[in-house]
Amino acid sequence: MHYVKLLRAFIGVSLQNSLAYRANFWISLLNALLNLGTGVLGLGVLFSQVATLNGWTWPATLALLGVYLTLDALRALCIGPSLEALAGMDGEVWTGRLDFTLVRPVDVQFLASFRFWQPLALLDLGLGVGVLGVALVRLGHTLTLVNGLTFVLTLAAGFTLLYAILLALTGLVFWSPGFLFTWIFHSLFQLGRYPVGLYPGWLRLVLTWVVPVGVMTTVPAQALAGALTPAALLGSLGLALLFLLGATALFRTGLRRYASASS
Amino acid sequence: MNLRGGWALIQSTWASWLQYRSFFFLLAFGWMIPPLIYLFVWSTAAGGAPVGGLTRGEFVAYYLSLVVVNQITYSQTNWTVGDVIRSGGLNAQLLRPLSPIYHALASEVAGKVVYLLFVIPVAAVLALLLHPEAQVTLQGALLFLPALGLAWALRFFWGYWLALLAFWATRADALLSLQDALIFLLGGQVAPVALLPGWLQAVAVALPFRYMVSFPVEVLLGQVAGPALWAGLAVQAGWTAVAVVLFSLVWRFGVRRYAAVGG
Repeated sequence: MHYVKLLRAFIGVSLQNSLAYRANFWISLLNALLNLGTGVLGLGVLFSQVATLNGWTWPATLALLGVYLTLDALRALCIGPSLEALAGMDGEVWTGRLDFTLVRPVDVQFLASFRFWQPLALLDLGLGVGVLGVALVRLGHTLTLVNGLTFVLTLAAGFTLLYAILLALTGLVFWSPGFLFTWIFHSLFQLGRYPVGLYPGWLRLVLTWVVPVGVMTTVPAQALAGALTPAALLGSLGLALLFLLGATALFRTGLRRYASASS
Repeated sequence: MNLRGGWALIQSTWASWLQYRSFFFLLAFGWMIPPLIYLFVWSTAAGGAPVGGLTRGEFVAYYLSLVVVNQITYSQTNWTVGDVIRSGGLNAQLLRPLSPIYHALASEVAGKVVYLLFVIPVAAVLALLLHPEAQVTLQGALLFLPALGLAWALRFFWGYWLALLAFWATRADALLSLQDALIFLLGGQVAPVALLPGWLQAVAVALPFRYMVSFPVEVLLGQVAGPALWAGLAVQAGWTAVAVVLFSLVWRFGVRRYAAVGG
């Protein structure tokens, strides 16, 4: 209950902060629309030349783009800003300002993950969900309860994996302050715009087991199209749990190495 | 023109950037990913039969060349011009006995040196793994160099005049995001220009964005030949002239308005 109250306070403060810079709304809207436009037009160009891509049809690939945009928007909305403040450029680990976070009587991992929110990312979230809706209509079959449920479960597993990877990379900053580990992830995550089956074998292995971008985006898109096996569902949930436990352990081990900066 | 001073500035910038090469390698890695995604997309699509007259190996050759050319012509300097104007950092540059354009050129040259140290080896390894196919003619190779030079100049001056609008509007860098999106769609990244649908292709051939990235690659690989090649070079030179004129006009009127924020 205490944590729910804290979350509400964090969201409130973040909202007030972003309301202070109202012109940013238009810039964020422009960027969200550009992101959507390049994604959808890119798929349009591709499918004007080929009918299917490695077995993926135009609506199925659009659903995948929707999953990608939705996950990326969720990251930008809640965990991205906090973890970036810790491990990004001039992050708290580098400047030593983490001291002020550590002295608070709240779990450090909770604070490090949910302190700052970016309400403007709701624009991206709306567009991502919109793409999912359009894709669902174009897929042309009614969504059964089972498919809907597996989609929500795999999307949740995908977001848990996304959080776990970002948390682990943030934890690595304690060993090598100043190195922008999370940027590597942002680059690799873009590979999730397309089905992971496209990539050559060695890259597919990396995208399934090391940085499971494929499990984050491809699996929920398959669930929405009703093409998911029970084994893949259990596998993605299990992998998410495994990565979450591993990342938490890594982050906490790293935190013990923190020795502040100067003074 | 203070050439000796300019050269000294260029050398010192490049030496100082090499100290932080891991940061710049990360940036270069991020910029490589979008063309690489489309390399895999198109080479999968052309796995069985050629798409739009291009075979799998030709797509690989096209996109690997695009990765390198994109890095050579990408002007990250344009993103910092606005900050320098807003923060008052331009004051110091205006006081030096050097035209401020040297500061931009210095970071351009420094950037190319550092980024290419990363991008060329990575592209070479990918070429060994992915088997590109290309027939490069002597004419193509010779005309590639002026096309590449013009592409760099066009992209640099076009972005620079947009960035200089920061003299009037604080968030002018939103226009740079728009330019990046247009280059992605029309500059041969999402697909080679020849594969775009009819009307989009006509737009791409007329607007400057294709001539910033994909045109030199098309010249090198012989995808544009005969009258279209010479017409393309003429259009490229024309847009470059327009960009230089716009740059000098915007600079002349903008710097008069400049009110030097900060101390």
